[in-house]
Amino acid sequence: MSTQPVIQLENATKTYGGIAALAGATFDLLPGEIHALVGENGAGKSTLCKLIAGVITPSEGHLRVDGEVVAFAAPKDASRRGISMVYQETSLVPQLTVAQNIVLGREAAFNSVRKVRNAARQVLQRLNFKVDPSQLAGSLSAAKRQMVEIARAVVNEARVIILDEPTAALTPEETDHLFDLMRSLKRSGVAMIFISHALEEALNHADRISVLRNGRMIQTGPASSFTRASLIRHMIGEDLAEQAPARPAANTRSTAVPVLQVENIRMGAMVNNMSFSIFPGEVTGIAGLIGSGRSEVAKVIMGHTKRNFSGGRIWLDGREVRYTLPAQAVADGIAYVSEDRKLDGFFETMGVAENIGLGWLAKFGRRSILAPRHRMRALADDWEKRLSIRRIGANQPVLHLSGGNQQKVVIAKSLSQEPRLVIFDEPTRGVDVGAIAEIRQIIRSIANNGAGVILISSYLPEILDLSDRILVAKSGTIAAEFSRADATAERILHAAVH
Amino acid sequence: MSADSAAAPLTLPNQGSGRRNMLERVVAAATFLLIVAFAATIDGFATTGNLGIILINSASLTVLSCGMAVVIISRGLDLSLIAQMVAGATIFGMLISGGVAAPLALLAAYLSMVAIGALNAWLIAYVEIPSMLATLASSMFIVGLFRFAVLRGEYLLLLPKSDPTVAFFAGRLLPFLPVPVALMLGTLMATWFLLNRTVAGRIIYAMGDNFQAARLSGLSVRVTAIVVYVFAAFTAITAGLIMASASGAVDFRTVTNGTLLFEVILVVVLGGIPLRGGRGGLRNIIVGVALIAVLRNGMTLMNVTTQTQDMLKGLILLAAIITDNYLNPRDAETDTAGDL
Ligand SMILES: Nc1ncnc2c1ncn2[C@@H]1O[C@H](COP(=O)(O)OP(=O)(O)OP(=O)(O)O)[C@@H](O)[C@H]1O
Ligand SMILES: [Mg+2]
Repeated sequence: MSTQPVIQLENATKTYGGIAALAGATFDLLPGEIHALVGENGAGKSTLCKLIAGVITPSEGHLRVDGEVVAFAAPKDASRRGISMVYQETSLVPQLTVAQNIVLGREAAFNSVRKVRNAARQVLQRLNFKVDPSQLAGSLSAAKRQMVEIARAVVNEARVIILDEPTAALTPEETDHLFDLMRSLKRSGVAMIFISHALEEALNHADRISVLRNGRMIQTGPASSFTRASLIRHMIGEDLAEQAPARPAANTRSTAVPVLQVENIRMGAMVNNMSFSIFPGEVTGIAGLIGSGRSEVAKVIMGHTKRNFSGGRIWLDGREVRYTLPAQAVADGIAYVSEDRKLDGFFETMGVAENIGLGWLAKFGRRSILAPRHRMRALADDWEKRLSIRRIGANQPVLHLSGGNQQKVVIAKSLSQEPRLVIFDEPTRGVDVGAIAEIRQIIRSIANNGAGVILISSYLPEILDLSDRILVAKSGTIAAEFSRADATAERILHAAVH
Repeated sequence: MSADSAAAPLTLPNQGSGRRNMLERVVAAATFLLIVAFAATIDGFATTGNLGIILINSASLTVLSCGMAVVIISRGLDLSLIAQMVAGATIFGMLISGGVAAPLALLAAYLSMVAIGALNAWLIAYVEIPSMLATLASSMFIVGLFRFAVLRGEYLLLLPKSDPTVAFFAGRLLPFLPVPVALMLGTLMATWFLLNRTVAGRIIYAMGDNFQAARLSGLSVRVTAIVVYVFAAFTAITAGLIMASASGAVDFRTVTNGTLLFEVILVVVLGGIPLRGGRGGLRNIIVGVALIAVLRNGMTLMNVTTQTQDMLKGLILLAAIITDNYLNPRDAETDTAGDL
């Protein structure tokens, strides 16, 4: 076998407004290799991948494919050379069916609806994906959207597939399935780059790992030459003390009065008969599989979606409430941190400050006519410091921030409302190790200060580390409840599946 | 990393991710070239007298465009704008012809249009009917109602030109400032203020940028919808008063033949405000109006028929969009569905 790399990136620099997102990075990818890319939020991982995929062009340095210098003007040039990218934020067209999305850009080859659907079905079957090709892409769960994007790359006969944080929205089983698939693609000679903030994934599934920091390539080597600690050291340049966030010594459920009580909530096919209570000063974790109705019940509580007619009751501090608009819930001190930041989390054209400021405005600007711009700015600066949000320019649109920093903006936007009850829906999705620790501290301190916290997470260690009490959701009901002392990963998983 | 912004108040760049800025620039450049070309070829184009005519003639279009722009930035569409314009002017005209005192007639006209704006907003924000359908329905209803109940099947209502209020709207506020131009400037300023300085303005951009996020963060999207459509109604009746006083008649055919509505949408889109909302501002309105006003004036001076003018406007819209797409190819990652 030749050892000629498929991809070589030489001294690549990409600057935005004079500031380097990538600063002279060198990178190579061997045929049939699984290569993990790790680094803090904003380190330049997505930027490096977009250079390879032809989404952006390097300011300096160049790219070689099969040893030959290329200059891609657009992603389709890269895909002509067999390079496909699955983006961090999904790029499917929501109004098209799964099948149409899969053959998108190659419609000429499959022109009838039936041919399109059959071609798509074949790929999906070969990849062992359980997705209905005639479903609309917009109605898919995050995991399925991901699968469709990979199927699209396979249909395009990609030799190089780049996956930007593919596992961020997947459950553990789906993640295993993805890595199985990647191994089988590897056997057929496809080279893959994947980005992940879960360092174990890089250590367990990659052949080689590259670490980026502040736009520089710090280290590349075989996965076996790294440990979790050494990866973190390379990523942040120092050791990180990872410990579970502090919580009050004893379980101080000061009052027996729940801040929130929901009873028999029913909503469409997703939520049927959910009942639970949330107490002030506690973090209540809700574990469960994707599709178990957790986000949906949160949106019912917020008044964002309508429950069924006579679909249950909700009490806040013992007072029955029935919100018809989230504005009412926010006014009463409930805040929701969305799981899909691009879909319903942030305002993409606006900067960090304005995003955070709008969250504050929703709660505290209700009676004012003039926008309190100095207040909003000061507040946003404060939150930027507290969550160490990294951005390039003062008014850089949030769309251009790195994924992790976008997540911090969305969290800050909700917390600026000083809520009494916060619902965190997958709060650490796509966030780097250092920031995960910070966000967990914040979640914990909100509860320690007396607010009620609901933590919806598919990542069990997170639920186990943070929660005082754990509910397990299963197909739209609460299947089990554990105190912190009784909860183990096995018990939770068992309750979630059986 | 954020030390640079310590004391500065929030500045509000709503020009989006750069894509739309290009269209605005292309159109501004085209307008400039057009002015140069007209000035060189048409006698009497580059005179102060003609400048005044351009301003007066584009006053009502500008006022309407302000209303439409605000609606579109909030990711809505108001197809009843022109119907509101003629209906408001009709109410005013009927009342003063019937001997009602002018201030009272004005008040009644404004209040009834506010009611229609609020009704539109209620249909859109509370009943949750898509804005295009809700305003289409209200437009048809308004025209039908007024032609049936008020005009008894007629198209035209003549205004008493000698009436001091009508004369005022057609006259001058200051020796160098015609009333229509003053109203146009006032509306532009009000639009700027609404969009940039008020809480409602911030929410309008948020709704256009990402409606689900705006709703879920607890922004008062319903109240803001009322502000948006009532503001649009205000611009409609203001434009109606300008137009009716200048021509001495209210003509319902401006609604039924549709060209004015298309022209207003054309101004907004050409100025660089995308129909998906959340982007653009006052500058874009001015750029869009400038192109259309100069074009209209130049072609009229050249005796080009209105049919040819319409054809040209259609072609210009296509040319502008194609140029913009060519200068800014969509990219797979950041492109938002529903983009124009
Ligand atoms: N289009 C753009 N305009 C301006 N700045 C940008 C743009 N795209 C990226 N950046 C900046 O470049 C830096 C690197 O971003 P990148 O998306 O590569 O980070 P990342 O390593 O993928 O982070 P994450 O893990 O959070 O996704 C960030 O500071 C980001 O704000
Ligand atoms: Mg990234």
